This record gives sequence, C-alpha cells and structure tokens, in this order.
Amino acid sequence: MTSPEQTLDPNALSKITGTQEFLNRLPIFSGAPAGVTKMFAYLAKREEYYRGDLIVNADVRCDRIFLIMSGKVDIYQSHKGRRFHLQLLGADSINYFGELALLAEFDWPFSARAWTDVVLLTISREAFTKVMERFSDSYSIAVQKIIKLHINRFADQRNYLISHISPEAWREDPPEDE
Amino acid sequence: MKKTAADNSVRITERSLFYWILRRHRPMQLFLLLVIVISLFFKVFPLEMQKRIINQAIYLKDTHLLFLYCGLYIGAVTIAGLLKYAINVMQLYIGQKILVEMRTELYHHVLQLPLQFYRKMQPGTVISAMTAELNAIGFFLGGAIAIPITSVLTFIVFIGFMFNLNPLLALLSMGVYPLEIIVIPFLQKKYNRLNKKRVKTTRSMANVVNESISGIHEIHGNASYRLEEKKLSSYIQQLYALLKKLFVIKYGIKFANNLFQSMGPFILFLVGGYMAINGQFTLGALVAFLSAYEKVYDPWKEIIEYYQSYQDAQVRYQQIMKIFDLDPAHALLPSSRDPFTLQGNISMKNITFSVPSGIKLLEGINLDIAANEQIAFVGYSGSGKSTLSLLIAQLYDASQGTISIDNHHMDELSKLDVSSNVAMIAQQPFIFSGTIRENLLYGIQAIVDENHVPDRSQVLSVIRQVGLQDDIIRFGLQAVLTPEQCKPFREKFLRMRQIIQTSLKKDFEKSIEFYDASAYLYYSSIRDNIVFGDSLSGEFVIEHLPDHSSFMELLREMKLEKPLLTLGYAIATQSVALLADFQDDEFFFRDNPMELEEFTTYAQLIDRLNGPQPKDKEARRLLLILALRFIPEKHSIISLPSAMEAKILGARRRFQEIVIHIDTDHGNGLEMWTPCLKTCKSGEQMDFIPFCPSEYMYTHTLLDNILFGAVKSENILDEQLRDIAEQAFQDEKLLDEVMDIGLNFEVGSKGDRLSGGQKQKLAIARAFLKDAPILIMDEATASLDNTSQARIQGLLETGYKGKKTVIAVIHRLDLTPAYDRIVVLKAGRIVEQGTYDELMERKGAFYDLARADS
Repeated sequence: MTSPEQTLDPNALSKITGTQEFLNRLPIFSGAPAGVTKMFAYLAKREEYYRGDLIVNADVRCDRIFLIMSGKVDIYQSHKGRRFHLQLLGADSINYFGELALLAEFDWPFSARAWTDVVLLTISREAFTKVMERFSDSYSIAVQKIIKLHINRFADQRNYLISHISPEAWREDPPEDE
Repeated sequence: MKKTAADNSVRITERSLFYWILRRHRPMQLFLLLVIVISLFFKVFPLEMQKRIINQAIYLKDTHLLFLYCGLYIGAVTIAGLLKYAINVMQLYIGQKILVEMRTELYHHVLQLPLQFYRKMQPGTVISAMTAELNAIGFFLGGAIAIPITSVLTFIVFIGFMFNLNPLLALLSMGVYPLEIIVIPFLQKKYNRLNKKRVKTTRSMANVVNESISGIHEIHGNASYRLEEKKLSSYIQQLYALLKKLFVIKYGIKFANNLFQSMGPFILFLVGGYMAINGQFTLGALVAFLSAYEKVYDPWKEIIEYYQSYQDAQVRYQQIMKIFDLDPAHALLPSSRDPFTLQGNISMKNITFSVPSGIKLLEGINLDIAANEQIAFVGYSGSGKSTLSLLIAQLYDASQGTISIDNHHMDELSKLDVSSNVAMIAQQPFIFSGTIRENLLYGIQAIVDENHVPDRSQVLSVIRQVGLQDDIIRFGLQAVLTPEQCKPFREKFLRMRQIIQTSLKKDFEKSIEFYDASAYLYYSSIRDNIVFGDSLSGEFVIEHLPDHSSFMELLREMKLEKPLLTLGYAIATQSVALLADFQDDEFFFRDNPMELEEFTTYAQLIDRLNGPQPKDKEARRLLLILALRFIPEKHSIISLPSAMEAKILGARRRFQEIVIHIDTDHGNGLEMWTPCLKTCKSGEQMDFIPFCPSEYMYTHTLLDNILFGAVKSENILDEQLRDIAEQAFQDEKLLDEVMDIGLNFEVGSKGDRLSGGQKQKLAIARAFLKDAPILIMDEATASLDNTSQARIQGLLETGYKGKKTVIAVIHRLDLTPAYDRIVVLKAGRIVEQGTYDELMERKGAFYDLARADS
C-alpha cells in the first residue's frame, strides 16, 4: 500500500508552466519559441506592491521590464513639485512598462506607483541579454517587438496628454509672411 | 636588529657573501666552532675502541675489557651523534638569522630605490630575487663556516689517525685526492656558467608569468591564451635545456667522487691485506684503518659539496646584488634632527627633467608657489603637468635646476621630511590588501608614532568628508561578527531590531519576511523553516543534515522524508531538463537550489534513478540537499505543495523540542523579547542559536540580525529603506559603531573588492587624514562621478582655502575657476599662468584649451 507521504507527483510541482502561459499571452512574447519563453518564465521575478507603493523612481538607473499580472500601475512624472499623470496601466490593457530597459541602460524617465495592490513579473536586462545570446535568431524579432510596444505605449501616453492639454497649448498655422 | 657602525659603512650591494657570515652572530658562531672541536674527539675515539676490542679484548679473550670498550664505544658514538644534531640545528638557526637580516636590509634598500629603477625593472625579477633566490642562499649561509671547519678538521684528524696506524697505507690511500682537486673545479666552472644562465632564465620566466597575471583581464578579453603560452614556452624550453646540461655536470661531479671513493678500499685491501697476511699489520689495525678511511671520505665529500653550494650561492648572490646596485636618491631619515615642519612655499628654478633616452619631459620650469595657495596644473596629455607634480613630491628628481620647499633644497630634504609635509593622491591610487582602516592609516602611520594616530572620530569625519560613508555603513552591515566582537554593541543592535519590528514594521514588512516561529517562511529555505536557527559549530548546515541522525529521525517521525525526496527529485529533473544547454553560465543557477558545479552530478543521478525514492544513501542525500535548499519565493523552478507547509511547521516545533531542547513559543506580544535561549550548566552560551527576537545570530551578517528576516527584494531594500534605517541608526547613536565595523572590511588584493570610485575616495581620505601642509592631487577626482567630484572640490574650497598649499593636476577645466592660479603647460614648458578670468581674457593657450574642452 502507498503511504500518504508518497503521493506527491514530481511533475505536478512545476511552477514554470503557469508563468510561461502568462508570458505567452503577452504581445512581446507571442510567437516566441517555447524554449525562449520557458527560460524567461524561469528567470522572471515576482514583485508585489501595496496600493501607493513606489515601484520605480525617476532618475534611478533602469534594469528591468515590468509585466502586470494583477492590479493597476500609475505612470507619472514630477514637475516643479507636482505629479503629472501620464498613464494608468492594468493587467487587462497595456500591461507592461520599462520595456526599453531590456535594450539599454538609462535612468528611468518616469516614476511608477501602485494604484491598487499589484502583482508584477519582472525580467532583468541581464536575463534578457543572457537568454538572447543563446537564441540569437529570436533577438532581432524581440527588439522589433520591444520598439513597437514602446511606440504603442508612447502613442497612448501622447493621446492622453493631448486630450488633457490646456487650450493655450494649441496653435494656429504659422502666418504666411513668416 | 643589532648593527655596528662598520655594518653600515659598506653599501649593501657591495658587500660580499662572507661579509654577512663573518660579521653577524659571532658569539654564536664561536660557540658552534667549540662544539665542532669537541665533537671531533668523539668521532675519533670509537676508532681507537674498535682497534682495542679486536687487538686486546677479543685477542686476550677478556670479557671485562670487551664490555668496557664496547660501553665506551657506544657512549662516544651517541655523544658524537648528539653533537652532530646540535651542530646541524645551530647551523640552520644561524643561517636563517643571517638570512632574515639580509632580506630585511635588502628590502629596506630596494624600497628606497628611485622610481626610475622600477620603470625599467620587471616586478618578476625583483620578486624572484627577494624570495626564491635568497632562500637558496639561506641554506648555504647556515653551514658557511661550520661545514668547512668541521670537514677540514675531521679530515685532518682521521688522516693523522691513519698515519699513526700505518704511514705507507695512509699515503697510498690519499693518492686519489689530488686527482679530484683538478677534475672537480674544472666541472664546477662549467656548472657555474650554466647556473648564471639558469638564474637569468628563471627571472625572465617569472616576469612573463607576473605580466600575464597582472594583465589577465586583457588576456581574457582578447582570448590571447596561445600568445601568452608561446611567450612562456620559449623560456620553459630554455630552462629545460639548461637544466639538462646542469644535471649532466652535477651528476658528473658525483660520479667522479664515487669513483675516487671506490679506489681507496681497493688499495687498502690489496696492500693492507698483503701486509696483514705477512704479519706486518695487525687485524685490529686494519679494521680501524678501513673505518678511518671510510670516515675520512665523509668530510672530503662534504668539502666538495660545500664547494659546489658555495659556488651556487655566490652566483645567486652576485646576480641579486647586481640588479639592486643603485643608491637611494634621498636619505630616509633626517640626520640628527626631527623632520621639518614646513609652511608650503615651493620654489622651482630652471627645472629640466629628462628620461634616460634623453627626451626632455620638462624644460626651463620656473615657478613659485606661496604657502596656502591653490594652484591648478592644466595642459594637453603629455604636457608634463603630472611629472611636475611628482617632482614636487620628491617621487622623481629633476635632471637640472633646483626645487626647494620653504628654502630647503630638495636634496637636503629626507624622505621623512617630504612625506611628513606632502600628501599625494595619484590618479590610480594603489590600495593594499588588508582592511579599509589599515589603508586609511597607511600614510599617517609611516610618519607618526602609535600615540598620534588619528582616533575614530577623526577617521570617520574624513570618511564623511569624502563621501565614503554609505559604502562603509554597507560594509559594516555586511559584517559577520563573532560573539566577542559583537559583545559591546549586542544590546544596541537588538534594540535596532526591536525598532524595525515595532515602529518601523510597516515600512519594512513590504521587503522583509520577518522570522516568525509560528508562520511558514516563503523567503527562507526549507532547512531554515525546520531548523529555525543556526549552530556556531556548523552542525546544522544543509550538507551535514542528511547524515545527522536526530534530524533524519525527526523527518521520518514527521513523515517528511519521502515528500522532501520527491521535492528534491522534482527540482533535479526540472533543472537538468531546463539547464542542460545553459550549464556553462553561473547566471542561470543563481535562483536555483542546484549549483552550477553540481549539474553533472545531478544529471548523472537523474539518468540512473527510476523514481523519487531511491534506495542508495548517496542518491537520497543529494535529493534531500536540493529539497532543504529550496526557497519557495526565490526558486521559480517548482512550487511548494501547501500540504507540506503544515508538516514543516510541525517539524520545526518538534525539532526544537527534541533536538535542541528549547521552547520557541515567543513569537508575539509582550513575550517577544523574552530570552528563549537555554544556557548550558556551566553558564556558557549554547552552540545553537534559534531565530529568536532576543538572540543575536552570530552566523548571520549584522544587517540580517537587524532586519531579523529574509529579504524579499534587494531592489526595494536598497531604494526605499536605506534612509529610514540610517536615520534610526543615527537616532540610536549606532552609526559610528556600524562604520567602525565597516572599517574592518577586507579590501582584497590591490583593493579588488572595491569599486574604482571607492578606491579613489579611500585614497583621498588617506591623504586628507595626513593633514599635511601641501596637498598634491594628480587628477585625483577624475574617476569619480560628478556628485562626488563636486563634493571633493567643495571641500578644497571651504576646508582647505587659505590653510593648505594645494597643487591639483586637472583635466576638467570647469573645475579651474576655484583655484587661485592656473598654470598652463605645453610640451614640457609653462606657457601661461594667471587666474581663470585673466587667462580667459588673454585668449591664449588656456582659452584654446577651454574652448576645445567645451
């Protein structure tokens, strides 16, 4: 007879599969070889923040991309002591930020805080580079996707700003004689 | 070390090898000589006894005489043996004492040699000379006097004894020696020539290896392994060829010796036997003669070997002294006065500095710097600005012209005069292996006695001035303290823990999973969850646990062994499958219970296992280790079944009850700070320390102890909590204690464990601590970030203005407006000088430089 402590199934303990399924649903990893997403699922880190917690502080060196698993994240920029809201990201909309950190080292140009309690998955630039070294065929596609994602996010931010811009910022066409 | 005036009268490199031998430890050497003379009697006496035993005791069949002579024989042999032992020990002792003095004095000389010497000398040559080559000489020094005297006297005494027995036989058996006197020196000369070449080749080889190790980053960067191997292999081959020849000659000498040695008995048996048969020689005399002949050859052999090792040592000694045969440029100490206390007025008249090839790096420099003036040297690369600053620091000497400080000519200033009054910071400072504290005090300790070394508050003040405070605090927090080191601050540190656990709990619990005796810890390993503590002796480290009978019994009792084996098996199978193509990079193993170097072992294990419950002990051990290392929230490879958490919690309680015998039920409320550690009967502290709020964990860092939990994310801890923690430390007046601990951080070889910026700040702090009237900064802040650079610059403007003479070699021209005067150099000459505004207005060389800079 099998004793109760022997009933544990080693295969059922795998944690990577669930994470891999989540990554596959993200545009950045859609269509990527299974080996690539599996490694990112293995190397990704889970971070949890409570409502109001600072996630990223502007002017601090960037090092990872953030993928929102649950909750909402406020992207904002401080200017002359005031916080200017740029974007509200959620698990069901544009669910990532810091994508360019995978490609280059720079200081965060924005700040991010937890708008609600959030669960994030992060992938460091080092992990991205190390994995891509092994899957060099996928690298250029990944870079293109990252840039497209960035443009999508940038366009979303711009549209938000335009819709909230003051009427004084709008200009007529330049006069003919100038 | 005792030294006579005569000792110092001859320059070290001009002393002969026997200079050291004859002038050092004379009383001990005389005593050794006396022992040698006494030992001679006990060497000859047994031969006489041999003769008497045969000729008298045996011949007369007198047992009384036999016992007497045998007793005297064994007594003499024993005393001779003991004396020989004493002679050997004394020889070695004297030799090593002389070697210590030789090495110390030579190192003293070598360190003082001018920098020009080191420009052309490869470090490998100096290292080889100071270590291996001197060692070889040391072995000779020990017997330099004793061996020849012992050997010659023994030889004479035995020869005398042989002549006494039979002059004809003695003369015949001595006939072979003159032949050796001709053959052996001939071979030895050849050996010496080759030996000189060997020393040279060994040094060259040491230089190549030394250069490769120093430039290992470049070699790895260029994958130039073959290139470097090729460089060394030519020397290896040369050395091989030389050693082959050397050994042929060495063993040729040995062969000649042995051959001549065999000739003696042949003559003795032939002639002596004939004489004994004819009754011209007694049997006892023949036996004694044969023994004497055998013994006479030992000193002869020793003389020959002594001659060889003398020649070898002489070659090495001459080669060593030849490379260091240079005078130090300046005296170390002022003669019969204290070092000057200078104001910092510097005057340079018509200074020229040339390198040995004749190229002039500086020419016609005339410059006066007033005390407390702040001067910036600027110019393009190669303009000579750094060289000029090195001349002022007496690191180089001008080829022509004069430099004086406070009207003292540089030639009359000793090294101590200059080092007491000049603090120098190089662009790439050297950090010595040792602690940060030792490096900080390096400059000051050289010029003041122990009582005047800056105290802790002065040291910490300088640390803060240069912006090294955060780094030192971090080093302090990462220190693992022994109970003795911790004792004075233990209560304060525990008080810090209490603050974090109470008033700062809300801030910290986001990033720390506090140790809680009643909760499962997801950021701690399964081992930590069960053992929930540490033993000072390492009894409960993971690798020992599968062999720990009580622990394993507990796992079985709690029905945890099999689930843990399954867990270990799952980690191993998943990791082996996932990382098979990544096993060459440690990065992929950082968040895995398996370590990179274990991959092959586990891959082989999984290959041969049929399931998670293997029979053999080693396989179970390996699986259990992986399971015990598993940290659910850190290791993403598998997840922990929730059913196991409760079992592990149960095991924790049971483990502390039956293995440790303590009660850990102190997790909350008012009882939280109640001591939970039982003490031994003797009152000594127990080996095991549980994760108890009232106990300091001596196997953990100070930071671990204060946080009292596992860090969830390093990012959050670093970014958000440092300020809060620092303020709390400050409030508790603990910051200085933590910094003091941080000062004991070991910086590694050449400061390898420090970043470039940390090294530079450490060098700046070292110079500031010296508080010298003249501060020379040779692009000292160039490798610092803008904030740190501005901090140091601000310090010069506020703390040093009008108080110290500052000479700064500067590359960044935006820093120059703060200086009283800017001196512009071009191609080794001063082309312009004045204030920033004057030079910009003049639109000359500085203006051009500033424009090029912008």
